[in-house]
Amino acid sequence: MSLLSRAVTLALALLLALPVVGPPPAVAVDDVKIALVVPLSGRWARQGQLKKMGAEMAIDEINAQGGIKALGGAKIVLREADAGDSVEKAVSAAQRVLTREKISAGIGSWLSSFTLGVTEVAERQQVPWLTLSYADNITERGFKYTFQTSPVSSAQAEQALDLVVELAKRNNQPIRKAALIGDNTAATVFFFKPLREKLLQAKGIELVVDEVWTPPLPDATSIVQKLRATQPDVVFYGATNFPDSIQVLQKVKEFGVKTHIQGVGAWLVTPEYVKTVGKELLDNIQAVVAAHPLKGQEELVKKFVQRTGEPFMTQDPLCSYAHVWLIKEAAEQAKSADPKAIRDALAKIDLTTGPAASTLSPGRIRFDERGRRIGAVPLIVQWQNGEPFTVVPVNLATRPVVWHK
Amino acid sequence: MPILAVVAVGFVLSFVVTERYHHRVLTLVFLWATMGLAWNIISGYAGQISFGHQAFFGIGAYVTVLLAAKLKLTPWLGMLGGVGVAVLAAVLIGTPTFRLAGIYFGLATLAYPLIFRIVMDYLGYQEVAIPMMREQPGLFMQFTEPRAFDLLALGILAATLVMSRLIETSRLGYSLRAIKENEQAAEAMGVDSFRCKMIAYMLSAAPAAVAGAVYAHAILFVVTPEAVFGVLVIVQTLTVCLVGGAGTLWGPIIGAAIMIPVSEILDTTMGDRLPGIQGVVYGAALMAVMMYAPEGLYWRVRSMLLGRTRRQVSAVRPVPAAAEVDAPAPTVPAAARPVLMDVRGISKAFLGLQALSDVSFDVREGEILGIIGPNGAGKTTLFNVLNGFLLPERGEVHWLGKSITGLQPHVVCRLGIGRTFQVMRLFPHLTVLENVMVGAFAHGGSPDHARASSLAALDLVGLADRADVVPTGLTTLDLRLMELARCLATRPRLILLDEPLAGLSTDGVELMAVMIRRARSAAVTVAIIEHTIHALVKLADRLVVLDQGRRLAEGLPGEVTRTPAVIEAYLGTRWLSRHGAPQHAEDLRP
Amino acid sequence: MVASELTQYVVTGLLVGGVYALMSIGLALIFGVMRVVNFAQGDFMMLGMYLTYYYAVVLGIDPLVGALVTIPPFFVVGLVLHRVFLARVTGGGDPNREMDAQLILTLGMSLIITNATTMILSPMPRAIRTAYATQAFAVGPLLLNQARTYAFFMALCLAAAVYVFLTRTDLGKALRAAADDPEAASYQGINVRAMHGVAFGVGIALVAAAGGLLATYYPIEPNVAVNFIVLMFVAVVLGGLGSIPGAFVGGLAIGLVQSLTLLVLPLQLQNVGVFVAFLLVLYVRPQGLFGRRARTV
Repeated sequence: MSLLSRAVTLALALLLALPVVGPPPAVAVDDVKIALVVPLSGRWARQGQLKKMGAEMAIDEINAQGGIKALGGAKIVLREADAGDSVEKAVSAAQRVLTREKISAGIGSWLSSFTLGVTEVAERQQVPWLTLSYADNITERGFKYTFQTSPVSSAQAEQALDLVVELAKRNNQPIRKAALIGDNTAATVFFFKPLREKLLQAKGIELVVDEVWTPPLPDATSIVQKLRATQPDVVFYGATNFPDSIQVLQKVKEFGVKTHIQGVGAWLVTPEYVKTVGKELLDNIQAVVAAHPLKGQEELVKKFVQRTGEPFMTQDPLCSYAHVWLIKEAAEQAKSADPKAIRDALAKIDLTTGPAASTLSPGRIRFDERGRRIGAVPLIVQWQNGEPFTVVPVNLATRPVVWHK
Repeated sequence: MPILAVVAVGFVLSFVVTERYHHRVLTLVFLWATMGLAWNIISGYAGQISFGHQAFFGIGAYVTVLLAAKLKLTPWLGMLGGVGVAVLAAVLIGTPTFRLAGIYFGLATLAYPLIFRIVMDYLGYQEVAIPMMREQPGLFMQFTEPRAFDLLALGILAATLVMSRLIETSRLGYSLRAIKENEQAAEAMGVDSFRCKMIAYMLSAAPAAVAGAVYAHAILFVVTPEAVFGVLVIVQTLTVCLVGGAGTLWGPIIGAAIMIPVSEILDTTMGDRLPGIQGVVYGAALMAVMMYAPEGLYWRVRSMLLGRTRRQVSAVRPVPAAAEVDAPAPTVPAAARPVLMDVRGISKAFLGLQALSDVSFDVREGEILGIIGPNGAGKTTLFNVLNGFLLPERGEVHWLGKSITGLQPHVVCRLGIGRTFQVMRLFPHLTVLENVMVGAFAHGGSPDHARASSLAALDLVGLADRADVVPTGLTTLDLRLMELARCLATRPRLILLDEPLAGLSTDGVELMAVMIRRARSAAVTVAIIEHTIHALVKLADRLVVLDQGRRLAEGLPGEVTRTPAVIEAYLGTRWLSRHGAPQHAEDLRP
Repeated sequence: MVASELTQYVVTGLLVGGVYALMSIGLALIFGVMRVVNFAQGDFMMLGMYLTYYYAVVLGIDPLVGALVTIPPFFVVGLVLHRVFLARVTGGGDPNREMDAQLILTLGMSLIITNATTMILSPMPRAIRTAYATQAFAVGPLLLNQARTYAFFMALCLAAAVYVFLTRTDLGKALRAAADDPEAASYQGINVRAMHGVAFGVGIALVAAAGGLLATYYPIEPNVAVNFIVLMFVAVVLGGLGSIPGAFVGGLAIGLVQSLTLLVLPLQLQNVGVFVAFLLVLYVRPQGLFGRRARTV
């Protein structure tokens, strides 16, 4: 081996001997631990990091206000585990974090397939788990420890369609033709299915374009060509993979297609869109989401922006913020940090005050026996001048809706 | 025996380990080692590097889970369905794809799981959650006791180890290794390479499918196309096998036992707090291992421990005197003996160059027929046609009265025609004995039987003391003798020797001549190509002369060497006109 | 189907294919000369995208030019990486055994590159805002996206330059000699090991340039390679191992097949068309479109 090769090999070997990057922070014995299993490295690292930011903000708030009073001021501690970019890693992360210490409750995992796997572990370990995932199948398994705070995709489809039709009618531009374009990820599939099968027909709306792709999308020409040819009044849009979405939006501008775009999911209202395609292109595009800053949450948003440097706050950090507060409330009501007790508290909780309730529209948190939030309704968010604002429901909106074609 | 030791260690570990998460790591080690072993059968032993083995892994997972979800079929039975579909897939995929070689084969196999992935998404199976069966969990492979999964995975690993071992020591194992080392030589020694590859592929698909099924239940809980058909699966398989060492039982086990815990330890200690660092360190570890042990840890450690005993040959043996009792020449003249092989009008062209034109001759039983001609005369091409590597445009080859034109080389070999090659085609990583055994297997039989007859063949050529040595480092003479022994082990009636005297000293040439005559007296007819006449003149009973693809002359050596056309072909018109016909064949040295 | 619609599909496919083609040439060169399966090829493309982004955003250089300017630094990086890491496991003896080691070595490299980039530059996607990404040339009834058209022509020029380099210059010929027959080449006085280094350097420089061109219309993030790496390999094998023109044609062919598949299959199965076409070509021509047939006995 030459000297250079030897040196390099030695360096690599030393890198291997780097196992302990500082000791873990000191933890008091009776702290309440919340697990956060989200992708922190790999393809979805950005989303996971956003969730972590929201959770951390809630934890700091709670601890600053004196922790969990029912447990003598016990502080909350976050235990994050990197779900990586595969189901195997996500489930390993959950397994790891749940067996190492006593975890009172958990949050995660953004990607619905990860959430499905992680909640299985949580169910077996009997630790309550909160998720913002929309997919219907998450709470169709008869689990007792999974709590889904977002309205499910199929319900969102129905409610969103009603809202959009209403908005259009009020602006004298009734919807006659609709398009469904999106990828075949679970949430999108669950949203499109009822629309395609019955909802559009029931409202007398013709489905003129139905294009679903497997990510990654090589080129958006054929899809946008069809939009141009058929001129739908509304396009339900589900491109969860960022590069795919950018290609479609750019192509829409390039072809001069004028239509109302209704995104399905909060992936469409993140800051990276502004930086990539600019605010003019995004203006007036709407998205159906589970959570977004509401009227009255201006302070919260300001605090978040100052803490993190993000230009605005979106669903992911907002939900994990709400989830942490919800767990805190459950711990207060259960007067215990035991996961089973917290689960029982969540199952019968009826919360109308506090940051958790004010974040999750329409302001009341109750769960049914499947773990779904009763009365959960989606919000519609609209891009206006480079920032997304809640526009529907009107009483919680931070800006009035703008409708044009 | 060592298999038992490894399984015992696994068993003990399964009971020693307490934390649930550690059980998961153990299960992962066993499962990936199994997948690695499965891959090893087709890619390590047979040398057909596959990038698509996850096709079978995914089939096993999906079939089992879908049967359980839709039909409430217990996965214990569903797994069998998965194996069945996977083996069928192996046949369907292998049949067209084995024609491809090297990286072409590898990437063609990759196309299949990529297609399956997209199709599964399309069919709506992007996320198939395994329904939790709270009653009868055991029936549905859902154990609350994590140890159960370890033991299940260990069981599969053990079964795959045993299967691999059986393959390794069987006739199939020898054939596969021969195919890996030199597919054409293997064919010429009677190995039906397509059939062997296909069997290996089918055998490798089964454990992969089982591993996939258990992986879905023990590790994933939700089956997605990416998780079981995705590139990460083959990446993990390759990592485990190549770090540990391909082509051996122990490689995948070593690879899995090291890399998976390393990965998990990195995730645990650094990954959660500094996400991404675990990827950097793991990548660095992979690079370090490959730089230190490119052939894999098993081979590296083994060669370090064994020292050089296998590689070096102790001393250069002196060439034994050819004055041993030479076989007497047969009494019946060649012309009177029955015809074994009848070559009629063979023509073969390559891209416009006519390599052979209407070549006809016959080979009589018990003779030594010499085929001579200047360079480029088409001699080796002729042998390639006789032996089945090439198809002639016109003409036929008859063997014992029946046409063998266009038959595959391994069939030709089994019919009794053996072959050695001008450029030696050894199996370089097999010992001398193992090289010969590949030939011995041409007529079936157990490894023990093959070993015995191989030792006999080595004895015949005087190489018995070199049996356990690897061919690198042997002299050209010894290598030629080994090739001869390997050829003789296929129990031929006729052997086609392509320039067996090339590169030998005078002593070596004499010894080879002795061996050839010995073969003939053991009832093996010999057809031998050489391009220097003087060597053959003493050895051959008859000569056939080729020049530029045509048969120039045929007859007794003495006559042929005085034929002006032959002299002209070798030495040119000017030499002929200057010197006239030579008296002795030695003068024909060009 | 109207003729203009069909033409639009063909044109779209070719434009997409042009950049695939450039991505693939680099890989083909590395394959052809070194017999290395470079797992990290896509990640070098990603780094090329980031460098082009830096040129555009910090130095104000248009990405079409910036892509070219990535070539020199990446060439040097390639030489260094080869010297320090790859040379240790290649150029020795048995190409079969070597491929195994290189696979894992380059896999390790890939992991380090993507993870380090995520950690250092953050996973937030970035993009170069060009006016021409959302504008099209109207050619009769056809619409050609401007960014993709520019990228296509740049790719064509670069590929032509590579071709000239390989066929007309001494260094290029030495590279090809080293690829064809390393032993014979070394007898000719060619330093085969150095040729490997050059091939690796040029190979990753080319894919970095391809990344720069891609960045005119595609967002940049540390894991972007995952969307292209398989197609790159398919293009190279389709074109025929060791053939540079083959890899180029292979890339174009993949773009074309992707687009034309939409005429027969639903959008979701678009890439199935590519893989099926790939298999069919290989089954009919086992050496790929331009590859050399394996030597006979």
